[in-house]
Amino acid sequence: MSDDNQPDARTDGGTGIVPPDDETPTWSERKSRRAGLPRLTYEYFERARREDQDLREQSTYVERDVLGFPTWPHELIRNLALTSFFVGMLLLLSATLPPHIGNPANPSSTPAIILPDWYLYWSFGLLKLGDLNPAISLLGEQKLMADRTYGVLANVVIVGAIAIVPFLNKGSARRPVEQPFWAAVGMGGVTFAFTISMLSIQNIMPMNVSLLFDLTFLAPLVVGAITYAVLKTMREGYMYDLNRRYYRLRPPK
Amino acid sequence: MADEFMKGFGLFSVAALVWMISASWYRTPSFESTRQLVAAPPEEPGTVFDTLGIFLGDLMFWTALLGAFTFWVIIPAGRQAREALVVDE
Repeated sequence: MSDDNQPDARTDGGTGIVPPDDETPTWSERKSRRAGLPRLTYEYFERARREDQDLREQSTYVERDVLGFPTWPHELIRNLALTSFFVGMLLLLSATLPPHIGNPANPSSTPAIILPDWYLYWSFGLLKLGDLNPAISLLGEQKLMADRTYGVLANVVIVGAIAIVPFLNKGSARRPVEQPFWAAVGMGGVTFAFTISMLSIQNIMPMNVSLLFDLTFLAPLVVGAITYAVLKTMREGYMYDLNRRYYRLRPPK
Repeated sequence: MADEFMKGFGLFSVAALVWMISASWYRTPSFESTRQLVAAPPEEPGTVFDTLGIFLGDLMFWTALLGAFTFWVIIPAGRQAREALVVDE
């Protein structure tokens, strides 16, 4: 947050690994960490740090920051923590939530509302764009294609647009503030995925359908515009910070 | 600051988890209804355990909301106010 407090600039990209110096803990510091798991963890990391230091001293590379992370403990402790969390959550929920094994489906009666799985709502919503299908006056107010064909074509257009994006923007930006326009496109797309999903369940949305239809297309534009404005505003400060850091590393002569 | 966020977030997520478990038993008439987790609890709970469960769910609901509000809004605002009031130390 405040770079002014740091006396020296970090040149390693913020990996948290600093060149070894006299910071090796003393024996009293080691003895103060003698409680079970913290001590165990501390000793593992200390050993890893020591191995890293030895490798660094043997290395002929100049200014090489990271030689590699040992799988144990770095990777495995993190993975064990994540695994324990999810296994524990599965056990807790399966033990405490009430079972909901419903009645068997009746094949002879069609449900009133038929919906695909939730992650396909966006595609289902694109099938409901019949209001956008223009009636051509030259054809005597006929529609050029059936609403269902139009819906399928809408899917083709959307999937095609998503497929084209990586070719238009190579993705050299590492954070949204560096390319506000594409960040805005992304936020608009995410919003549209949500609103078109809401449109697809218009039967059970507690809302006026025509208002929902308008919001489906207006909300992504609004969100994209807000994103663009915010990021564009932030970019000046971001570039200032970047330049300041650069000039602190390499002061102008 | 980060600690305050984590305290609020921890309270919110743990209390909300317990609330969800309670509400899935007592505030969900059916998993096919459109009012899951928010329906009114049964008027006359069968046993004292049901009463306790409903009470615990309500307690956890407000713990989640007020806990997060306390750590994310009230305490930081209090600190800001104190910093603004105290001129120099």
